[in-house]
Formats: sequence, C-alpha cells, structure tokens
Amino acid sequence: MKRVVSLAVLVTIVLGMSLLLALSGQSFYPSENLRWLAIVYLNTTYNPYLPDFTVRSPESVTAIVWDYRGLDTLYETTVFYLAIIAGLALGRGVKRLNQKPTDESGLSPIVKTVTKITGPMILAVAASIGLHGHLTPGGGFQGGATAAVVPVVFIVVFSSFYLLWKGVSSQRMLTLRSAGLIGIGLTSISLFLAGLLLGLPSYVFQNIAKAGSPLSMPYDVHGALLSGTLWWFNLFEFLAVSSGFTLAFIILMTPEAEEKW
Amino acid sequence: MVGFLAEYMFTVIYLSLFVNLGLSLFGLFYKPHYVKKLIMLGVLGDTLNMFAIFLGYRAWPSPTTPSRPPILLTYPFENASVLVEFTSRAVDPLPQALVLTAVVIGLAVMVFLIFLGDNLFKHYGTLDMREIRRLRG
Repeated sequence: MKRVVSLAVLVTIVLGMSLLLALSGQSFYPSENLRWLAIVYLNTTYNPYLPDFTVRSPESVTAIVWDYRGLDTLYETTVFYLAIIAGLALGRGVKRLNQKPTDESGLSPIVKTVTKITGPMILAVAASIGLHGHLTPGGGFQGGATAAVVPVVFIVVFSSFYLLWKGVSSQRMLTLRSAGLIGIGLTSISLFLAGLLLGLPSYVFQNIAKAGSPLSMPYDVHGALLSGTLWWFNLFEFLAVSSGFTLAFIILMTPEAEEKW
Repeated sequence: MVGFLAEYMFTVIYLSLFVNLGLSLFGLFYKPHYVKKLIMLGVLGDTLNMFAIFLGYRAWPSPTTPSRPPILLTYPFENASVLVEFTSRAVDPLPQALVLTAVVIGLAVMVFLIFLGDNLFKHYGTLDMREIRRLRG
C-alpha cells in the first residue's frame, strides 16, 4: 500500500509539472530542423552524386558506426572482448559438470518440440538482422544479441548440458569469437594491404574510394548492394557477439562440480 | 489542441526521464542487494541512452498528417529527389550510433558484473552488501 501511494505521488508530480510547463509555454518540443552535422551524414550516406564522400549504404547509423567512426567501434568491440575475457578469468579453475542429458531432464515434450521448431527460426531472423545491417536498421550487434537468445532457450528447455553434448563447447565458442575478431581486424586493414601491394595510396579503415586513393571495396555485387566493408564488418561482428554471449551463458549456466579443497 | 497534446506528452516523457534518473540513482546507492544494484544500473544506463535518443529526435512538420518513415527504397535510384526527401525527413543518426556503442559497452560491463556477483556469492554465501561489508574477507 505504501508503495502504491508513493508511486501515485510520483506520477502525479510528473504529470502535474508537465501540465504546468506545457501551459506556461516552457515545454520541451523537438525541433523540426537538424544540426548541419546530421544533415551532412544523411546527405552523404548513400549519394551517387558525391562518389568521393559517400558510404553507399542507405542505413546511416551503420554507416556512422562502421565507416565514419569505425575506429570507435573497433575499440568498443575490444572492450566487449575484454569484458568476456575478464569474466572467464574470474571463473577460471572451476571444474564444471558434464553429464549426458536424459529424456527426463528439462521441460515437457510440448515445449521441447516447439523449441526445436522456433530455435532455427530465431537464428534465421538473427542472421537476417545481422547481414542486412547495411540496408535496414540492425547490424552485427543486434543480430548477434538476437542469436544469443537461442542457447539460453535451449539450456532452459532441454538441459544445462544439452549444448555441451551437441558440441557447442566454450572452447569452440572462444575460437569462433577470436575468428570474428581477426576477421574484423583483417577487414579494417584489407584495403591498406591492397594499397601496399598495388603501390597505390590507401588508408586503414578505408571503405569507398576517396579523393587521392582510388581503391574501394566492391560495394555492388551483381546488383546487390554490399556497401563495401560494412557487410563484412557486420558478418564478423555477428559471429563475435553471438559466440561471446553464448560463451558467457554456457559458463554461467553450467553447474559446478563439488568443490574439494 | 493536437499540438498542445503533443507538447504535453513530450514534456511528460522528458520529466519522467529525470525522475527515472533519480530513482535509479537512489536504487543504486541505497538498495543493499547486489542484484537490485545491477538492475538499477541497467535502468540508469537505459535512461541516459534515452536522453541521447531524445536529443536526436526530430518533430514531424505537420502533426495532423500521418508520418512516413524515411527509407531509401529504390536502388539504384533514378533522381536526386528521393535523397532530398530522405534528408528532409530522417532524424539525427549520430545519437543513435553513439547509443548503439553505449548499449554494447553497458552489456559488456553487465556481463562482467554478473560474473563478479557469481564469485561474490561463491565466496561469501550471500549477495547482501551489508553482510559482505561486515564479513571482511
């Protein structure tokens, strides 16, 4: 009762204060115009008339994340990697059980059958979100986080050991994660290496040809828009994020063996 | 009337964000349980992200007509008018990109803190901060 009263008081304060502010003309209302910086981003994100400035991706958020401010995102991925590694380091030296899951473990057969059907569907949606990140809202992070739902659902529905018995071990997830990170690194320096080999000027994190450096990732493959490096970054980020979360869930949800000191 | 209602609802959202901020800080500082602190940390991060998204929001010019989402549908597009319309309707993408970064960093911190909580529980047998402070190792 006390909580309901305090909640009601809070809501009344917010609504009343807003009414006062709106009546007195001091209300907050977003502007109809954008800052010039946002207009520059929106104008150049897919603009064939400015071939030296465009990213050739109609999704400006992904363009900012992986092209205009790509170095930020690289270090952000590193932070994510280090957080998972720090978590693993905290849980080191702990023996974890590994038993064969039986038919009795987990929830009822109805839930198991439904999960067997919906699991691949979640993965398909996640791959669609991740790999269309340069065309529609989404990208590697979002797709990876969606894909990481599947192992949690399977652990809850089947058994804590189900994933391990299906071969989704923490070592393999760590390998997949490292492969994703190596892919991100290689994509970021791919055009730089190509420039070194061909003797042409090029930059690290270059995507589309700029004035003074004619190299550019293939952005249009048989009429399908790939937006240069963005598709590759999203693919590898999808791998890294989904396997990183799966790794964390496996470590957190597998029961530990009896500790004998 | 429609304009006033839109203004009022925006003000409600804006003020409730501040209230949310205060509540999450209160929970973070005064709730003794570790998991409750984590929940409040999540709420705090989401509130700050919402502030950033709010800054990048753009008002639809006429409140009475239904809004159309700014999407570049045609590829390859025929003329520049598609692009002009896109730029005239899209919201600021930069706060959204920064929030995307902040969300992932927040998730990383949260994963690490959950591992830390796991270890805390293993060592102390409780997640109550008052108990853990009293035990001293």
